[in-house]
Amino acid sequence: MNRALYRLSLACLAMFVLLLINVNYVQAFQAGSLAGRPGNARAFTQQFQFQRGSIIASGGGQNTTIAESLPVKGTNMYRRHYPDGPTYAQITGYDSVYGSTGIENAYDKYLAGTAPSLAVHNLISLLTGKPKQGATVYLTVSPRAQQAAYQGLRSDGGHQAGVVALDPSTGAILAMASYPSFNPNLLTTFNGAQLNKIDHKLLTDPSQPLLNRAINETYPPGSSFKVVTGSAAFSTGKVATPQTTVPAPQPLVLPNGHTLSNDAGEVCGDGHPPIIQAFWMSCNTAFGNIGMKLGARTLQDYASKFGWNDPKLTIPMPVSPSVTPLPPGLDKSLTAYMAIGQYSDAVTPLQTAMDAAAIANGGKLMRPYLLNYVQAPDLSTLAKTNPSALSQAVSPQVAGQMTQMMIQVTQNPGGTAYQTAGPPAVGSLVIAGKTGTAENTVSGAGLDDAVFTCFAPASNPKIAVGVIVKGGGFGAAAAAPIAVKIIEAYLGIHQ
Amino acid sequence: MPRGRRRTELLMLAFAVGVVLFAYANVGFGLNGKLPAGLVEYGLAFVVIILAAHLAVRRFAPWADPLLLPLAALMNGLGIVMIYRLQQSGRSGNPGNQISTITASATATQVLYSAIGVAAFVAILVFVREIRVLQRYTYTLGAVGLILLAIPALLPASMSEVPGTGAKIQIAIGGFSFQPEQFAELALAVFFAGYLVAKRDVLSLAGRRFLGIDLPRARDLGPVLIAWGVSLLLLVFESDIGTSALFFGLFVAMLYIATQRTSWLLIGILLFVFGAYVSSKLFSHVGERFTVWLHPWAGDNPTHSSYQLVQGLEGMGFGGILGTGLGHGQPFWTPLVQSDFIITAFGEELGLTGLMALLLIFGLIVERGLRAAIAVRDPFAKLLAGGLAFALALQIFIIVGGVTQLIPLTGITTPFLSQGGSSLIAVWALIALLMRVSDTARRPAPQPIQDEGMTQVVRAG
Repeated sequence: MNRALYRLSLACLAMFVLLLINVNYVQAFQAGSLAGRPGNARAFTQQFQFQRGSIIASGGGQNTTIAESLPVKGTNMYRRHYPDGPTYAQITGYDSVYGSTGIENAYDKYLAGTAPSLAVHNLISLLTGKPKQGATVYLTVSPRAQQAAYQGLRSDGGHQAGVVALDPSTGAILAMASYPSFNPNLLTTFNGAQLNKIDHKLLTDPSQPLLNRAINETYPPGSSFKVVTGSAAFSTGKVATPQTTVPAPQPLVLPNGHTLSNDAGEVCGDGHPPIIQAFWMSCNTAFGNIGMKLGARTLQDYASKFGWNDPKLTIPMPVSPSVTPLPPGLDKSLTAYMAIGQYSDAVTPLQTAMDAAAIANGGKLMRPYLLNYVQAPDLSTLAKTNPSALSQAVSPQVAGQMTQMMIQVTQNPGGTAYQTAGPPAVGSLVIAGKTGTAENTVSGAGLDDAVFTCFAPASNPKIAVGVIVKGGGFGAAAAAPIAVKIIEAYLGIHQ
Repeated sequence: MPRGRRRTELLMLAFAVGVVLFAYANVGFGLNGKLPAGLVEYGLAFVVIILAAHLAVRRFAPWADPLLLPLAALMNGLGIVMIYRLQQSGRSGNPGNQISTITASATATQVLYSAIGVAAFVAILVFVREIRVLQRYTYTLGAVGLILLAIPALLPASMSEVPGTGAKIQIAIGGFSFQPEQFAELALAVFFAGYLVAKRDVLSLAGRRFLGIDLPRARDLGPVLIAWGVSLLLLVFESDIGTSALFFGLFVAMLYIATQRTSWLLIGILLFVFGAYVSSKLFSHVGERFTVWLHPWAGDNPTHSSYQLVQGLEGMGFGGILGTGLGHGQPFWTPLVQSDFIITAFGEELGLTGLMALLLIFGLIVERGLRAAIAVRDPFAKLLAGGLAFALALQIFIIVGGVTQLIPLTGITTPFLSQGGSSLIAVWALIALLMRVSDTARRPAPQPIQDEGMTQVVRAG
């Protein structure tokens, strides 16, 4: 009977081998797809069982927690909490059971502790029995600047608006706010029905609170584009110095027979002012004329050097490109409009800030970024942003010339922003800036979009700001005060 | 002089107990970072139970295989650990959802069943001093086995149906339930062994030769047809596909060992496949098993008919290669995870690594059983041990293969691991029978008191 027993033993062996092969197939080869299957309650639940890393705004020498995971009483779950939700909502985004946005999404691997660089740390935690914890993400955002930015937008008549503040020497984003905003705390509920309701409400809200206007919405730049036009004029040598006189007729008759006027039909100096005066008064005819001399292609080239027309920029959230489309057939008349930011130019608040930042940094445009560094629970640094240049927009000499002109906008009693960003408003602080008041037929509100691009202090720039208030009216009146508030808050100046 | 190797057994037992206690402590740390309650009480109870078994083996089966008891103790202990882990899920402030089908006293009950199981183990070693004794009760045990199988089918569904499964396999009175089939399997194995030893010469006779295989004579087909018929009845009246397959597999394997005729194997397999096919067409609950096996992810199956299987698979996938660690997984999502699906809970928390280790331990137990069968001389003991070892392997294959989607899922218990007394007591009895056979096999031939031609007995050093 032993022969049969040996054969039966082989049959038993075969059964165990089949089982072993099959469990290998299930748990090694299929494991990923099984665990990640939609409807696998385990992966879904586990996501909220670990303490996700915090997000900290650490710019300007201040550390403020803007997102953290707190244990929910009576469960073993953690719920995301945003201490100053609406203020930072466009930066943090949210982490809900349905998905995540903003920094929560961009640095999810670090926050959730699944980044490969955290593997060793996780293993040690596992062995020592410590609960798994995500890494902490430190952002370049300055809590002071950010609060001033959000409060500034909120108290500005409820217009839709966006603002970005940068450190011109590094590209670090010091503030980024959008109005109206939303409360990300509402989206962290575990209650699916409630979440659906809130999600639906936010998505169908006509004021689009989920939209980050600071980087994902473009507006006509208006006269703030004269920073680009002026830079192109100096760089190409079409205009030698700020004192060089330029023709500024009122009105300027365009090749197509239409006329281009200054704001309110104002006469620009004696009709042949130095370019610096045309700049501080924001004469459309002078810059329209310069634009026609430069040509649409040159204008576009210089805009691109300032970071425009770049669809690939991320901070790490993707930034909508600011654009300067060429007029059909490089039409001269339309080029004049393009030169004053009116044809089809469209700009984000971030790009508006980048324009000023490039001038402030001696013409060198730094890549904007939000991530300061990532710190593992064991306090080791996992990632860090090293500032890098995007381009040399203009030469240091041209940057100096542009700075002179931008200073006059706020310091010359005839400058467009003298009252709101000059000595009457900020005393001895010198802000270099440029206002923009863009006719925006699209907005339909009857009011123009207000734009302000600036940096301060002019002699030693620490902060560059770009503000756009949709339907806000005059740039100097609606946008500049917001920039001033942010600059004062960041530099620690109290009025 | 051959040795019984009881000291090896004790050492291995200490190791097994160490692993179990470590795993138990691990559950507490995994769940809430503290040593679990009951570590001392349950630990002590477990040590006492195992020590009692060891002492009984020393006294009553000193030559038995030294590995069987430690392997059985390890599996029994790990089963208790997992029952405790599942019992604690969502209870006393621990993470996870509470499993409604497990009571708060499940661990205590399982420890009690382990004690009864070991008591049965000791009783068999004490009362069955020679395995041949059982041969006398061949037909008695055969009748007992059939009656045990038949009882649940005759009882009203309210008393015999396992809640939520539709299988009529238990006798439930008050809060207690008892699954007679677990014991029927043992009784029938003895019956088959006794019957086949007596009839094997007849059954080996060759009839017609067909396609190079010697077919048995038609008149000898009786027993195999009866066994097949009974297994089909089980399937139809008790909706118990797993036991039906196990029972028929046991019979065919023993028939093969007894006669060494491959033709019996082929006839058996053909009959089974035919029976399974026809019943899958005739009875919806059988057909559904095939659908679930082949298309678990199709349509709304994952949330309906294949929910349990899918949850088990997702749990195993979630555990991956190294597992989540005891107490860190979420096995509570799988319905009735403490019974048929307990292997998926091990897969989830101990990972592929732990699951392969468990399968290898099961494999070793089967191997020790088969080794005893091969080593023993007595044909009855050979048949019985071979049949029991094969039945154990088949049971593991059916349930583990079922929950891992290798074969259609049929509900039978996982030996040693699943919650429930009948299964645990029966498998301890099975281990006792295997140890008795191995004791017989390894026992040295009686030393002659005096050897002719020698004036003195010289013992080899």
